[in-house]
Amino acid sequence: MKKAMIGLAAGALLLTACSSGSAKAGDTGSGQPTASASASELNDHTDPTYSGVGLTPPQPRPQFTLTDQAGKTYKFGSETAGKPTLLYFGYTHCPDVCPTTLADIAQALQAVPAAVRDKTQVVFVTTDVKRDTPAVLKSYLSQFDAGLPNPFIGLTGSQTQIDAAQVAAHVALAEDDGQTHAAQVLLYGPDDYARVSFLQSTDETAQITHDLPKIAGGK
Amino acid sequence: MSRPSVSYFAAAAVVIAGLAGLVRGAVPQQSAAPAPASSGPGIVIGSAYVRQPANLINAAAYFTVYNTTDQPDTLTTVDSGAGAQTTLHVEDASGAMSANAAGLTVPAHGSASLVPGKGHVMIEKLYGRLLAGQTVNLSLTFAHAGQILVTVPVIGVTAPAPTPGGTPK
Repeated sequence: MKKAMIGLAAGALLLTACSSGSAKAGDTGSGQPTASASASELNDHTDPTYSGVGLTPPQPRPQFTLTDQAGKTYKFGSETAGKPTLLYFGYTHCPDVCPTTLADIAQALQAVPAAVRDKTQVVFVTTDVKRDTPAVLKSYLSQFDAGLPNPFIGLTGSQTQIDAAQVAAHVALAEDDGQTHAAQVLLYGPDDYARVSFLQSTDETAQITHDLPKIAGGK
Repeated sequence: MSRPSVSYFAAAAVVIAGLAGLVRGAVPQQSAAPAPASSGPGIVIGSAYVRQPANLINAAAYFTVYNTTDQPDTLTTVDSGAGAQTTLHVEDASGAMSANAAGLTVPAHGSASLVPGKGHVMIEKLYGRLLAGQTVNLSLTFAHAGQILVTVPVIGVTAPAPTPGGTPK
């Protein structure tokens, strides 16, 4: 019963909403802290190997083709094959969750052993194809990957391509011009499976720092 | 989320600065030494920060509100000196982030935190670039405590955030 409830809560958190500032008519928040569980509360730690949210069954590395921040075709499946890869969907106008998540990833990469840092690839896929051009993505991501050995990859494409990428990665389709988008960071290992994901929380940096070496080191 | 203990109030009070004027259009504002007390009786703001915006378009301020009084209070209105439009955004029951007309309620002898994904003060139409090391002036108006002025530090794009309800990690 408890597991079922946790599952429901996890489902409710699959989408996160970055606010755009345009208030919608009829929005009436309670003003009270919401009852939804935090990411750490969602993790029931049935698999003590990982600090993040375990994925059962593991999800295979998806195949999708988009355009990178240099304007070149980027085949995610083949470009990242065999590399520890952190995959995240978001958009650059997002004021809160996206920049915090990218900052958490950058901090974690600085904290892990150099051997792990050197082989890990971060890929950011925009959910806002109207505004996030390759040039916008390049400018945005270069502020997060400063000092890291592997530049973050920023991907955009047509709405159809972005939708296909989200489907391939088994994340919820973004809505509202990409402003409501999947919250989780997926971590694929050298064996091309994701066994753990991360949700925005004050503990996210520590979770990635803990789990990434475990994933990156093993086949 | 850990519940803040009383010992954190001293640390929280450090970031309080009752700045004399909330001047729009001036970014950054080099504040003088922080004033020792907030203007609102019984309300203390802690762990406040703004992450330097990587998009150069909008910014989000986060903080924890401590209420030391015997009655609940509500943060009703926000304003800032960093942008032309400032709004309180709080996650609603459905998980969507939206401008919150009802405000942020802080229980008596309790606290409420704005953290990424749960809520923030949204600052748009920035008057200029916000860079780490600068500060942003926030005006927070509470139903009971009235207006409180806070000087919020801007942290680096990838800097660790202060832990809500606690001391910086």
